[in-house]
Amino acid sequence: MATVDRGTFSTALIPYPNLPEALGAAASQSPTSGLTILDRRGRAAGRRTYLEVLAAAAQTAARLATLGIRPGDRVVVALPSSFDWFDVWLGAIHLGALPVATAPGAAVGASQVQLAKLTGVVGKLDAKLIVSTAGLAEKLSEAAPSEEPLPPCLTPDELAAASSASTLDVARASPDDTAFLQLTSGSTGFPRAVQVTHGGAIHNALALDAGVAAPHRSDSRGFIDHWASWVPLYHDMGLISNLTLMLKGVDLHLMPSEAFLGRPRLWLENLASGGRTVATAPNFGYQLCVDRLGDGDLEGLDLSNWQVAFSAAEMIRPETVTAFLDKFARCGFKSENYRPGYGLAEATLVVAIDDTGGAPRTLPVPKGSNGGGFGLSEVFCVGGPVLDTRIRIAAPDGSASPDGRIGEVWAKGPGVFKGYYNEPDATAEALVDGWLRTGDLGFLDRGELYLTGRLKDLLIVRGENLMPHELEWLAESVSGGGGLERAAAFSVSRGGEGEQVILVVEVNVKDSTQLQNLARDLRIEIGHEFGVTLADVVLVKRGQLPKTTSGKVQRGLIRERYLNEELPRLG
Amino acid sequence: MSDSPAQAVLEILARETGVPPTKINEATELVGDLGIDSPRALQVLVEIEDKLDIEVNDEEVANLRTVGDILEVVATRFPA
Repeated sequence: MATVDRGTFSTALIPYPNLPEALGAAASQSPTSGLTILDRRGRAAGRRTYLEVLAAAAQTAARLATLGIRPGDRVVVALPSSFDWFDVWLGAIHLGALPVATAPGAAVGASQVQLAKLTGVVGKLDAKLIVSTAGLAEKLSEAAPSEEPLPPCLTPDELAAASSASTLDVARASPDDTAFLQLTSGSTGFPRAVQVTHGGAIHNALALDAGVAAPHRSDSRGFIDHWASWVPLYHDMGLISNLTLMLKGVDLHLMPSEAFLGRPRLWLENLASGGRTVATAPNFGYQLCVDRLGDGDLEGLDLSNWQVAFSAAEMIRPETVTAFLDKFARCGFKSENYRPGYGLAEATLVVAIDDTGGAPRTLPVPKGSNGGGFGLSEVFCVGGPVLDTRIRIAAPDGSASPDGRIGEVWAKGPGVFKGYYNEPDATAEALVDGWLRTGDLGFLDRGELYLTGRLKDLLIVRGENLMPHELEWLAESVSGGGGLERAAAFSVSRGGEGEQVILVVEVNVKDSTQLQNLARDLRIEIGHEFGVTLADVVLVKRGQLPKTTSGKVQRGLIRERYLNEELPRLG
Repeated sequence: MSDSPAQAVLEILARETGVPPTKINEATELVGDLGIDSPRALQVLVEIEDKLDIEVNDEEVANLRTVGDILEVVATRFPA
């Protein structure tokens, strides 16, 4: 039957009950290892050993305590990847408070909506403190007072100026205690926060290491000189891989995601800069390297020491992998070092990794299924479950399906979350007898997982989750619909470009200028709110979208009609 | 005679987006009118930085919504 599990960690691997103790012990064991922060041009802007990082965090914890932050309080960290970020995030954990990392709003043109996003998160989680950049703090103070007063917002400098409690009475956290909250989608008003436990975070960070290092019969510390990352720290992949390095005492070079997005070669240059390296990124990061680097850019780029290129957090596209391996083979990158994996925030980060040490492998999608609608004919092996973890392909009744049959991917293990913060209904839906219903579709073949699509109507663009109903609500507010006129958002796959967002909106307008303006407004609002470009906006007459008897738009059906060009487009 | 910084910006935007320069003005929205998302906008920005040999800081990047916003930032680097 299609349930697979993996051997367990020896208890010696996880000897500490909580993150502060585990990180402290690891830093003492590797006193010279540390974190280098790079700027938007890829230049080193500073380095701290992990011991220094933790000492600064302990000091910040004492300051947070003076400011009245107590264990369990939510502290929003809206900062770019920086030492300040580590001070506050780790400081909150040290104190037993729950840090919540959000996007700092450095994306182009994002500042306008950043405020709304931040206040949405703060309100939903009833946060006690915000630590943000000066720009964001200024906007918060200028914002019109809302009904719900906002908690204090401090810049890192203001926080550093606070006096620190002379004695800090910190309760010792257990593995099952929540360590931090991880947001699953960052849009206005509808944040959902995953409660990650101390034990889950330690397990997942070490499981990632074990999966990455397995073919080398070692662990990171044994064979890696540094990791280079641009994945933001508010993203589960950026965050957990960082914890992995701290727990393994391996150097990390961290660059702002803007640096990578603007100049992808900077990331590759860092990976080529000396020693054996590892990097993790969602599929789109590899695609960006393929798209942006011309033949001339490959000159002088020696990637032969790049030991592991881990790809997860969104669907792995065969087009991307083929193009990446083809292009960077010329720089000495070895195909067996491309390491597909699979995970999601509800499992902390990682569920499966292909740790066999061979080149990436595909299988055809089983016949007689649409595979969840991604339209892929072959899909990548993302490997077997990570240590201590089980994967089941569930039939609709929850029982395990046989090999080769597509069903919902369920996962069980220490990395599986405790539930969504303050959302018992959503939690009960996601967790069944300790099994996490991932909402992703796939099949097993000889103990290895192949992802084919998605059961839930989630959109994943460049590794970030978007909830279709959130786009639809915004679209309906722009079009003035929401009552009689409805909207539907879904994604279609376009080769290596990955998921492209399509928006279909019912309107009560015929004039072509009005229609054009409406389409433009929709692109602007959705673009600013969610940071995505709509690949297509389809305006149709009221009543054209199929709905269920309870009035919900049928996205799957609309998507099918769109692909078949059957939607009666206006304008 | 070389192009003015503003002309250089418009040329880069037109080349990168395929939108004719005559259809780009200060009010043109980067996302809504030129159809570029954050990664693309950063790429365009890098081209502008490289071409004009300037650096735009993170705070300024977050405030870029329109072509006029870019021109304004660029203008501060080339005082008349």
